[in-house]
Amino acid sequence: MAASNMKAIKRRIKSVESTMQITKAMELVSSSKLRHAKERAEQAVPFFNLLYETMSEVASEAVGFHSAYTELREQGAALLIVMAGDRGLAGGFNLNVFRLADQRLKELEAQGREVILMTVGKKASEHYAKFPNRILGSFDNVAEKITTYTALHMAEHIVHLFDEGHLALVEVFFTNMVSPLAQEARQMQVIPVPNLEKAEGVQSLTNYEPSPEAVFNSLIPQYLAGILYCTIVDTYASEQAARRMAMENATDNAQEMIDDLSLKYNRARQASITQELTEIVSGANAQE
Amino acid sequence: MSTFPLQIITPEKVFFEGDVQRVIVRTTEGDLGILAKHEKYVAALPSGPVKIIMEDGTERIAALSGGAVKVSPLRTAILANAVEWAEDIDIDWAKRSEEDARRKKENSRSKEEQKFAELKLQRALNRLKVSSMKQ
Repeated sequence: MAASNMKAIKRRIKSVESTMQITKAMELVSSSKLRHAKERAEQAVPFFNLLYETMSEVASEAVGFHSAYTELREQGAALLIVMAGDRGLAGGFNLNVFRLADQRLKELEAQGREVILMTVGKKASEHYAKFPNRILGSFDNVAEKITTYTALHMAEHIVHLFDEGHLALVEVFFTNMVSPLAQEARQMQVIPVPNLEKAEGVQSLTNYEPSPEAVFNSLIPQYLAGILYCTIVDTYASEQAARRMAMENATDNAQEMIDDLSLKYNRARQASITQELTEIVSGANAQE
Repeated sequence: MSTFPLQIITPEKVFFEGDVQRVIVRTTEGDLGILAKHEKYVAALPSGPVKIIMEDGTERIAALSGGAVKVSPLRTAILANAVEWAEDIDIDWAKRSEEDARRKKENSRSKEEQKFAELKLQRALNRLKVSSMKQ
């Protein structure tokens, strides 16, 4: 038994080793991609903070401010923008955000709202392929090299639908990178624009041209594009972080398997030597 | 001449940050020159040129693709979807983009497609115009 057993173990060690090489390589690729993605996510923060600050000021300072984008409409569909990765092998990264989005989808349907979807990432478009007539648009393989134009194009499309009265609600489902070790699937309401701080009775000293409402409304596509850009970048960074972690675990497990198998291999080798010795000795004894 | 701090920010990076004498932007209502101690002011900006007079009096021009300007006592900030210095504009690329936009506009089937093509065309034309304005 020994020789064939040893051969089988050796083969398994080889196969686990080559798998480990792959997981190790993927881990390294993800770490470097993660570093770039993190930088990009951080660079987007000043722009977005300023944009948000400006919009809050317009909404709170202008007396009698009123915009279609801050009130919930009775009529119209809900648009869920679901962001996931373009690839798998990233642990629970894709599943977590789908679970959150699916739950919200059911909830909205129970309320009698029509739900349409926009997907970012190949995994998301695959997941929602079962509802082909609900998909407004799919953006596959854009996250890695996302530009402001892509985000703006998406935003203008959405704003156009809203202006035509087709939409009442826009929500984004993305994954927030809390730290390189923790990612969290999140839901964010985009339209109606939530939580703009309203200071009562503050007389505005700011000059808005042509009017506060016009400035606010013309900022909407940018605000939406800003949110899309930030969340896509954040999701992409989370994907890399999740994959790095999953691959690190896989590499560790492979190493453990190799150690285990080496031990078995050595035992089998020793057993076969011992057996051979016993055979020789008993053969010599028989001759006497 | 007194100066004031100016920031030009895009989602991708902080494009410009520094003290300037004057900045001229094109708003939906027309050109607007901003000097130090300008009143508080906010306006939306379509695609257009931005002219900056630096602290030392030199002039720089950049092409801005849509955004907003916000003047507050502390600083003036320009939020831009994208912005490029006139000397960095790739003219061939801008021309291709112009042709592409014209073709898309002609072939557009819906009002929406036409609107997007028009915006794209404006951005391309703005880039070409600004790049011809450089010294």
